Amino acid sequence: MYEEPYKWVEAVGNRRTYLDEQFTEGAPVVGVTCGRGILLMTMSKGTPKLYEIYDRLALGGMGHPADLEKLRFNLLEMAHVEGFNRSASDVTGSRLVKYGMAPTIKQAFEEVFKAPFIVKILLAELGQKAGKDSFLTINYDGTFEEKSQYAVLAATSAVEQKMAGYLREQSIASLEDAVGAAIRTWVVGDRAQRRVLDDGEGHDEVRAGLDQQATDSETLYAYLQRCIAEKTVECALLDRHVQGPSKYRALGIDELKTMLPKDLSPSLS
Amino acid sequence: MGMQSDFYQLLREQGYVFGVPGQAARGQELTTATTILAFKYRDGVLVAGDRRATAGNMVMYDRTDKVLEIDRHSVMAIAGVPATAYEMGRILEHSFKYYRRTQLQELSFEGKLRALSKLLKDNVPAALAGTGAVAPIFAGYDFGQETAKIYFYDILGAEFEGVDYAVSGSGSPTIRGILHYVNTWGEQPLSAIPEEQATVQALRLLTSAAEFDSATGGVNREAGLYPVIKFITASGVRTMPDAQLKPLFEVKVSRHV
Repeated sequence: MYEEPYKWVEAVGNRRTYLDEQFTEGAPVVGVTCGRGILLMTMSKGTPKLYEIYDRLALGGMGHPADLEKLRFNLLEMAHVEGFNRSASDVTGSRLVKYGMAPTIKQAFEEVFKAPFIVKILLAELGQKAGKDSFLTINYDGTFEEKSQYAVLAATSAVEQKMAGYLREQSIASLEDAVGAAIRTWVVGDRAQRRVLDDGEGHDEVRAGLDQQATDSETLYAYLQRCIAEKTVECALLDRHVQGPSKYRALGIDELKTMLPKDLSPSLS
Repeated sequence: MGMQSDFYQLLREQGYVFGVPGQAARGQELTTATTILAFKYRDGVLVAGDRRATAGNMVMYDRTDKVLEIDRHSVMAIAGVPATAYEMGRILEHSFKYYRRTQLQELSFEGKLRALSKLLKDNVPAALAGTGAVAPIFAGYDFGQETAKIYFYDILGAEFEGVDYAVSGSGSPTIRGILHYVNTWGEQPLSAIPEEQATVQALRLLTSAAEFDSATGGVNREAGLYPVIKFITASGVRTMPDAQLKPLFEVKVSRHV
């Protein structure tokens, strides 16, 4: 039935609609560079969404946990075999995405008889020098983008643009700056996603008492406070200061507490 | 399907072959490397190795690093054929990283020991053919038992725990006796001595090995070449810098030589 070109195009279009719906409830992911390295941040419920891929590579993902897990394993396999056969310096995010991940995801997306990957990926790469850090984001259809200062994942590109717009205005130097900015950007994204969802369901305002337009820190942290009740803050750092080749480390609750406003910190535990 | 977490298996599936036997040609001298030691001191385990690699009577290299850091908490010291030993080190390093990143937890200390044992077993044909014998020492911090431990292996892959110390390489018979003497009748057992004293002991032991074994390189002060000495504690592996070894050697070792 898909032999005719227009039917195939229609099927792919339907698949896009189906996939867009799958991400509406997902948690956005924020990646941002700072003097210390690259910070990745999201909020997760149970299953982690931030992972170590290689010595200087970290992954953030949205979507179905099983699909994310499958692609994570593919990335790990490619990175480690390449690192062993050649060298750690030859394992780059760009090569992994362009010649490995993106074609796989695109193929799955376009093979209409098979299930697509319900996944969006953010790959962060710590450069050998400050200022050489980079990000790659891959959409569920295999399209990818390269960025240098920051990158975000969210349910729709409109939400992503909104998050990027907010993040662009932040001045980030220290790790503390990065943690604060990443968390506030996450709220901007999650709130925008919720609004789309709520509007779609005909609700005016689910989270009563919150001004949906305000982007001042207090309003954003108040929103976060509500999210923390059901999710946990997940932060990982590709830390330039870590000794040895592996630069990835998760930021623990105790460390995060020292970087967040005091009235917010207790609710992290 | 199961969760794949074995990097060595993954390599083999992709056609990688390790430990291929090959008969050494007559008169062909293979590069080997030399005296390594490990002992428990007050804070953990010290692992040390000289810097010389030889092929028969020929000194091939005097800057060899035989104490390989496999991950943040494990070290493999190598004696035997460096080509094979370095390859083993690379496989182990990637195996441990791969396991940690896929399984989101560290491979257990027993798991790490077993991984090395498996490589040695696969290397038996090459070891017996005379082209790839390696007798390493593996030391690391065992978080399960909250202590740093030492294991040594024969070329067939048998694994033995060095309760107080372990030695390997051509210069090891010399220092094995000294270690036994110092540990048994010294003022205090090796496991009680602090880091600086342990470093002095390691320097003296390697200097003794170099005295009687031509394949072991001693300290070369003109070239600024000192042995490699690493410490393993709960906080990880740390290397003693040459800048600290130099004064210790001059004051506590050279005057006795």
